[in-house]
Amino acid sequence: MSGHDLISLLVIAQLAAPLATLAAIGLPALADRPLSEASTTRLVSIGFAVGFLSAVATLAVLAVRGFRPEIVHVATWFAVGHHEATIHLVADALSVPYVCFSSGLCWLVNAFAGKYLHREPGFTRFFILLTLFGAGMNLMVLADSIDVLFAGWECLGISSALLIGFFHERSNAVKAALRAFTTYRICDVGILTASVVIHRAVGSGDFDRLFGVNWPNGTCLVSATTATAVSLLLVFAALGKTAQVPFSGWLPRAMEGPTPSSAIFYGALSIHAGAYVLLRCEPLLEQAPLARAALILIGTGTAIHASLVGRVQTDLKSVLAFASMTQASLILVEIGLGWRVIPLVHVIGHAILRSLQILRSPSALHDRHELAAALGGHPGPSGSWLISILPQAWQTHLYRIALDRGYEEMAVSRFVAGPIVRLLERAAALEKAWIAWLAGESSEHRR
Amino acid sequence: MIASHVMPAARDWILSGVAVTVAAPLVAGGLAALGVADRFLRPLSVAAMAISFVASLAIALAWQVTDGTPVAFGAASGDGQLIFIDGLNAVLLPYVGLVLLAIVLVAPRRSLESAMVKRLLLGAAATFALFATSHPLVLVVLWAVTAQLTWRSTRVTPGGRPAARVFAISMWLALACMAAGTALLVADPPWERSSGLMGTAGGWLVAVAVMLRKGIFPFHSWYPALFSGAPMATALAATMPQVASYTAVRLLVGHADGVATELEFLALFALVTAVYGAALALVQRDLRGFIGALAMSQSALVLAGLSGRLPMELNGAFCVWISSGLAITGIGLVTWALESRAGDISLETLQGRFWDAPALAAFFLLFGMAAIGLPGTLSFVADDLIVSGSLDDQLHAGLMVIASTVLCGIAVMRCWFHVFGGPSAVDSPQHAILPRERLTFTALIAALFVLGIWPGPLVQALEKAAEQVLRAPAALPPPPLAPPSIPAHPAHGAATQHLFPGSLSIMTAPSVTKGIFPC
Repeated sequence: MSGHDLISLLVIAQLAAPLATLAAIGLPALADRPLSEASTTRLVSIGFAVGFLSAVATLAVLAVRGFRPEIVHVATWFAVGHHEATIHLVADALSVPYVCFSSGLCWLVNAFAGKYLHREPGFTRFFILLTLFGAGMNLMVLADSIDVLFAGWECLGISSALLIGFFHERSNAVKAALRAFTTYRICDVGILTASVVIHRAVGSGDFDRLFGVNWPNGTCLVSATTATAVSLLLVFAALGKTAQVPFSGWLPRAMEGPTPSSAIFYGALSIHAGAYVLLRCEPLLEQAPLARAALILIGTGTAIHASLVGRVQTDLKSVLAFASMTQASLILVEIGLGWRVIPLVHVIGHAILRSLQILRSPSALHDRHELAAALGGHPGPSGSWLISILPQAWQTHLYRIALDRGYEEMAVSRFVAGPIVRLLERAAALEKAWIAWLAGESSEHRR
Repeated sequence: MIASHVMPAARDWILSGVAVTVAAPLVAGGLAALGVADRFLRPLSVAAMAISFVASLAIALAWQVTDGTPVAFGAASGDGQLIFIDGLNAVLLPYVGLVLLAIVLVAPRRSLESAMVKRLLLGAAATFALFATSHPLVLVVLWAVTAQLTWRSTRVTPGGRPAARVFAISMWLALACMAAGTALLVADPPWERSSGLMGTAGGWLVAVAVMLRKGIFPFHSWYPALFSGAPMATALAATMPQVASYTAVRLLVGHADGVATELEFLALFALVTAVYGAALALVQRDLRGFIGALAMSQSALVLAGLSGRLPMELNGAFCVWISSGLAITGIGLVTWALESRAGDISLETLQGRFWDAPALAAFFLLFGMAAIGLPGTLSFVADDLIVSGSLDDQLHAGLMVIASTVLCGIAVMRCWFHVFGGPSAVDSPQHAILPRERLTFTALIAALFVLGIWPGPLVQALEKAAEQVLRAPAALPPPPLAPPSIPAHPAHGAATQHLFPGSLSIMTAPSVTKGIFPC
């Protein structure tokens, strides 16, 4: 077996393991014969463990081969006329470490969630969505084309929204889920249109026709105009998943979901999906100063916004959500500055720390007391000196702004979402009136 | 060699299959009309539709062993024949059979009264017959029969008179345009050199008739009205087979060189309807209104693809036809099952039905995902094909398809969360799903996922059908890549060859473009 064959096998295993697990626990549930809690967690654990160990083995083989990228042809899905839908994956210095990290984290969270959600009515549903998320994450990370990447991206969005609304009997959870999904879907326009532009520019969605897949030393193979257009669209797509202003309103609300999913989605993996896509397409960004400037501008603005708003939150999960937002924004700034390895290290470091914090959040008071006992007093909030150097009037003003979350949500609601919804409702009302008139009901309706 | 031995037997199988497919619901409908089967209406209707479904599957299988020459039988008029089976309806007949079988399987007990079953079965027979013919005058007659049965079912439903009136106005107009247009098309085919004003007028009249019958903006009002006022079985049986799309294929798309402007006109309005319907679905206040708007949007998407100039666009349209039809049928049937337990469902507030009916919630979600292009379902493949085809052809079409898909996605999730999310009443009963419901929903979901994961055979069969419809030389081997004598396509380096004198071109050779277009 050649090195390429071995890598192909291992890469396919990283994808097939969570998918097989999804089928193994999903199909019995659909037939109203859900597996027991123990069997479910065991199967999910095996799926993620196989994915993780395959990724670690792939990393070892890649390291031996000097991290030369390997393109893996999984299958030709279908081919008609001049159109061929193929599934190409890439194993390189970006994708494989990322799969190691994401599969490993999913494995750990699975172990935690098995206990945390014991006897919860939606136990099987949680693990179905977790494995869908894991499979989608691996697909997105390993994708060697914008089309395959989008398939994974889509699985992330759907599983994320459904897990936010996991406690479906709570109105707030349902509204938060719908808000998150709407934001994702709006920003999906970016990735879909990027796909359109890429297909028109190079005749396929494969990354190796857009840029040399040799991370972190890829080179752009398309014109600066195409690179700018695609980069701007990808930046737009990333804004939704990374919860950047003006799309940040969903993130604090997303904490309505169960703690394990909050940890892995909004502390670790989903929140960084946009950053990963931008890192993958970094050679394009290099040729697109406009897109990089937009990233720096939006990232800096969101970091300041999230940092300020996070300081006035009164519940721990919201504080952690805004802390996640701050770090994700800084990662985008780093990508905008043209750095490649530092953002990747930042993503992994931040994800591990934040998911730990979120998983520990139910025991936050206990932890804080222990810390205070160890330090001999309560530690104050970090960065207070920065605020204290401002004049008192400014501090009060900033406090008000922070309490209102920077008026961001109000502005989006009043000037964007509100008018669109009112317009559509007006159209629907006119439709009803027109149908009533056609049906000869107009006079009756007036009465 | 194989074809010459197999062909006569296969041809006989296909013709016999058509006869059985149409006769089974016709006989059963007759029995229901005579009142001799009042005590076993469900077994009767399920048996009739199951026989039709199996016979239509036999037609599809027999078609696979033919040499690809359409099977025709009976009197001819214009370019059409009384019985005409080609690659397209060989695939569409089983699709229609599955949809109708699913409807009679899931129909709640109290909906299955004698008159309703009679009209459903006779309507099914007429729909099967329509999908098995290309004879223009027979198409007109069957349009009238199917519309009349739908109108009657709606009219006798309590509270259904307003919807029946809106439906009747649209259908009368559609039928008048269709009859006049067809007569003119047959008398003076616009695709012949000697064609004059009559043929042009005929093409436009048929185009308007298709718009009316398909509920294309601005003639879309009957679509939401029917879903709101008619029984779910009637609404689904009237809209999901898409008889107007089939008619458009036979009378317009198959002669694209003669009615190119009409097709462009249809495509434009269909794209607007796809986006508008999806936007309306976002703000609907009741579940049936949502299904009507969603079905209108998806149905328009099919017509937009059919009006395309490339086999891939047509292929995408055929795939959307099947995938959205199965998915929306599933959504409609789950809704019907839910309504039979809990009454009408509003979307103005959170209804909290998850606790009442968790299995129905799961199936609704899966059908919803399958309707909006979840990776792994047939609609993902369909969207890939239709958008890739549109991109080769026109950029704005691809972008409008994206807009429609995005809006539909939000609308489906909003609907799911509003129906199943929220607090449930403390004393609300839990509703178990019936075995026949579970079987039907599972079969529809399985079809959507199996065809999505392994789409090759279906997509290739539909590609041949699309080439046949566009009169492309499907049997010819593809020319070599980028031959020096044929100028390359500016965007993809693909060679194009003009098949019809005038405006349209068919991509036949091609450099490979790759993509799994997302939506």
